[in-house]
Amino acid sequence: MKLLNYLLKGLNWVLLLTVILIFIFPFFWMITTAFKSFSETMMFPPKWIPDQWLWQNFVDAWQSGPFLHYYINSITVTVSILVLQFLTVIPASYAFARYRFKGDRFLFALIMITLMIPAQLIFLPVYLQMSSWGLIDSLASLIIPFASSAFGIFLIRQAFKQVPNELIEAARLDQASEWKIMWKIMVPYAKPTIITFALFSFITHWNDYFWPLVMTNSELSRTLPVGIARLRDIDSGASWNLVMAGNMLLVVPILVIFFLAQRHIIKAFVYTGVK
Amino acid sequence: MNYLKTKLTVGIAAILLSIVIPACGNEANSVQQQSEDGRPIIQFWHAFGGAGSSVEALVEEYNNYQNEVYVNATYQGDYLENQSKIQAAIAARNHPDVTVIEAGAIGAFAKAGALVDLGELVKQEDMSLDDFVPGLLGNSYWDDTLVALPFARSTPLLYMNKNMLEEVGLDISGPTTWDELEEYARKLTIPEERYGFTTATNTWLFEALVFQNGGEILSEDGKKSLFHSDAGVEALQYWMDMIDEGIMKNPPAERGFDVSQQDFVNQNAAMLFASTGSLGSILDSIEGQGFEVITSFLPKKEEFATPSGGSNLVILENTSEERQQAAWEFVKWMTEKEQTIQFSQATGYMPVRQSAIDSEDMQAIYENSPQFKVAVDQLAYARPRPMVPAYHELQVIITIEMQRAILEDGVSAQEALTAAAERGNELLSK
Repeated sequence: MKLLNYLLKGLNWVLLLTVILIFIFPFFWMITTAFKSFSETMMFPPKWIPDQWLWQNFVDAWQSGPFLHYYINSITVTVSILVLQFLTVIPASYAFARYRFKGDRFLFALIMITLMIPAQLIFLPVYLQMSSWGLIDSLASLIIPFASSAFGIFLIRQAFKQVPNELIEAARLDQASEWKIMWKIMVPYAKPTIITFALFSFITHWNDYFWPLVMTNSELSRTLPVGIARLRDIDSGASWNLVMAGNMLLVVPILVIFFLAQRHIIKAFVYTGVK
Repeated sequence: MNYLKTKLTVGIAAILLSIVIPACGNEANSVQQQSEDGRPIIQFWHAFGGAGSSVEALVEEYNNYQNEVYVNATYQGDYLENQSKIQAAIAARNHPDVTVIEAGAIGAFAKAGALVDLGELVKQEDMSLDDFVPGLLGNSYWDDTLVALPFARSTPLLYMNKNMLEEVGLDISGPTTWDELEEYARKLTIPEERYGFTTATNTWLFEALVFQNGGEILSEDGKKSLFHSDAGVEALQYWMDMIDEGIMKNPPAERGFDVSQQDFVNQNAAMLFASTGSLGSILDSIEGQGFEVITSFLPKKEEFATPSGGSNLVILENTSEERQQAAWEFVKWMTEKEQTIQFSQATGYMPVRQSAIDSEDMQAIYENSPQFKVAVDQLAYARPRPMVPAYHELQVIITIEMQRAILEDGVSAQEALTAAAERGNELLSK
C-alpha cells in the first residue's frame, strides 16, 4: 500500500517535470540564444550552452534604438490602459451582473461580439478616426482604443454573479450606496479574477506589436515590441542572438509581475474550478 | 446624496481624462513641420531592420550635406507592414513624402495614383538615366511612366560549398545548366547525411526557372497567367524530380529561406539558391566552420535569367510642389554613385549605378570577395518581376500550389499550376 503510494507520487513528479520542461524550454532557448555569437545561433545540431556568454548582445540590442524611450512608452501605455479599464470595466460588469434593465441582454451580446473581431479588421476606421483627431503618432492613439475591454466585462461579470445575494442585501439594509457596494463588497470578493484579468490585459498590451506599429510613425512614440522587431532584417535573415536579447528585455518585467501576482492567479483558477 | 457623490466622481474622472488625453496627444504628436534649426522636414519611411542603420547613416549624411531640408528617416516594419501603413496613411492624408516599395508592389501603388511621375522631374533637369543598371530599372516604370528609382536591390545566386565540391571531384566553377545542377546535386548527396541542393520553393525563385526555360509568368498586358505553360510545368517538375530522388531538400514553405540557408551553413546541404542580400550573413555565419563559399550564376536551361528583387525609392503624390522638389533632390542623392557604393558595401545589396560598379572602391571589393561580383555580372540577365497589382496576391497562391504538387501524392505539376493559373486569371481580370 505504502509502496503504491510512493509509486503514484513518483509518477506525479515525472508528469509534472515533463510539463515543466515543456514550458521552460522556450525560455531556456531564449536565454541561451541571447548570449550566443551569431554563428552559434545558426548551428545544427544546436549548441545548448554558448562557448562564451556574450553580454555584449544586450548592449548591441539596447543601442539599436532609443530603448529607454521604448520602455517609458510601454509602461505609460500599459498602465494607462489598465487604469482606464478598471474605471470602465468594473462598473459595467456590476451593472450587467446585478441589474435587469431594458436591452441589457442586447447590450451584453453587442459587447461579446466585439470579442470576435480581430484588430486587423478594424484598424483602418480607427486609424482614420485617430487621424482626424490629430492623435496619430501619439501615445493616446495606443491607449484610447483600449479604454475598455469586452473580455474583462465578461470575466468580471461572471465573478460578480457569484457574490451571494445575502451579502448585498445586508449591505443595502445598512444603507450602503451602490458605489460603496461595488467597491467595498464586489471588488474585494472578485479580487483574484480582477488580478487575473489585469495580468492578461497587461501581457496583451505590453506585447502588442501590430497596433503600435500602425499608429505610430516615429521612434520616440513607439513601444518595446516594435523596437525589438527592428532587430530582424529583411533580406539577410535575422540576428537571432540580438532578437533574443531584445526579447529578454521585453519578457523580464512580465515575469517579475507574474511572480508577484502568482498567488492571486492560482486562487482565481481554483475559485472558478471548484464551483 | 450618494447618487450625487457618484455623479461627482464620474464627472471628475471625465474632466481628468479630457485633460490628460489631449495633453498626452500633444506631447508625443510633436512631429513638427520644421526641424530644430528651422528647416522643413521631409518624412522618409523605410523598411530596413538591421540594414536600417546604414540607411539612417546615409540620411544623416544628407542632412549635413545640404541645409535646405531635414530628412527624417523612420523604420515602419518590413516591406509588407510598411506598405499597409502607407495605404492607411494615404487614406488619412498623413503619409510621408518618400518611402521604399518592394519591386513587385510598385504597380499597385502606381495604379492607385499614389506615386509622383519622376519622368517629368528627370526631363526638367536633363538628367540621364543611362548610368542606372538597366536590369534594375525594369520595376521602375508603370504605363511607360518612371515612378521609382532602384535602391536596395538583390537577385538570387547559386551558393556552393567549395570544400564539398572539391571532395567529390567536381569542377568548382559550378554547374551552368539545369542538367549539370542535377548531376552536381546527385554527386554531392550522401543519403541520411546531406543533400546536394536546397532552396526555398518560392515564387520568386520559380520565376527564375520559368524565365530560364524561355517562359513567361504573365502575358504582356498582365491580364493572363502564362506560368502554367510547358516552360513552367517543366520547371516545377524539375524540382519535384530532384526532391523525389532525395538529392534536393524541400524546406518548410513558411520559413523556406531561413531553413535552407541554415542547412547550407551547417553543411547539411552543398548548394543553395538564395538572395544576394544573404551573402553577408552567410559569410559571417560560416566563420571558423572550416569551409569556403563560392557563388555563381543560377544555371540556365534555354538561357540565363534571374528575377530582380528588393525595393525602390518612390515619392508619394499629394505633397506640395516644393516638397516634391525637395523629396526628389533627396531621392536623387540617395541613388547617386557615392551613396549607392556606401550602401552596397554596408549591406550586400547591389550598387544600382554602372559607374559605381566600375568604381575603384567596388572593384577592390570584388577583387577581395569575388562572391559579390557574381551578382553584379548576373544583372546582365536580370528580368523585372511582374508588376500588376494582383500579382501581390497571386505569388502567394503560386507558392502554395507548388508546395501542394511537391507534398501531396497524386497532384501533378500541371494540375497544381493550372489551379494557380485559374485563380490568377480571376484576380488579374479584376
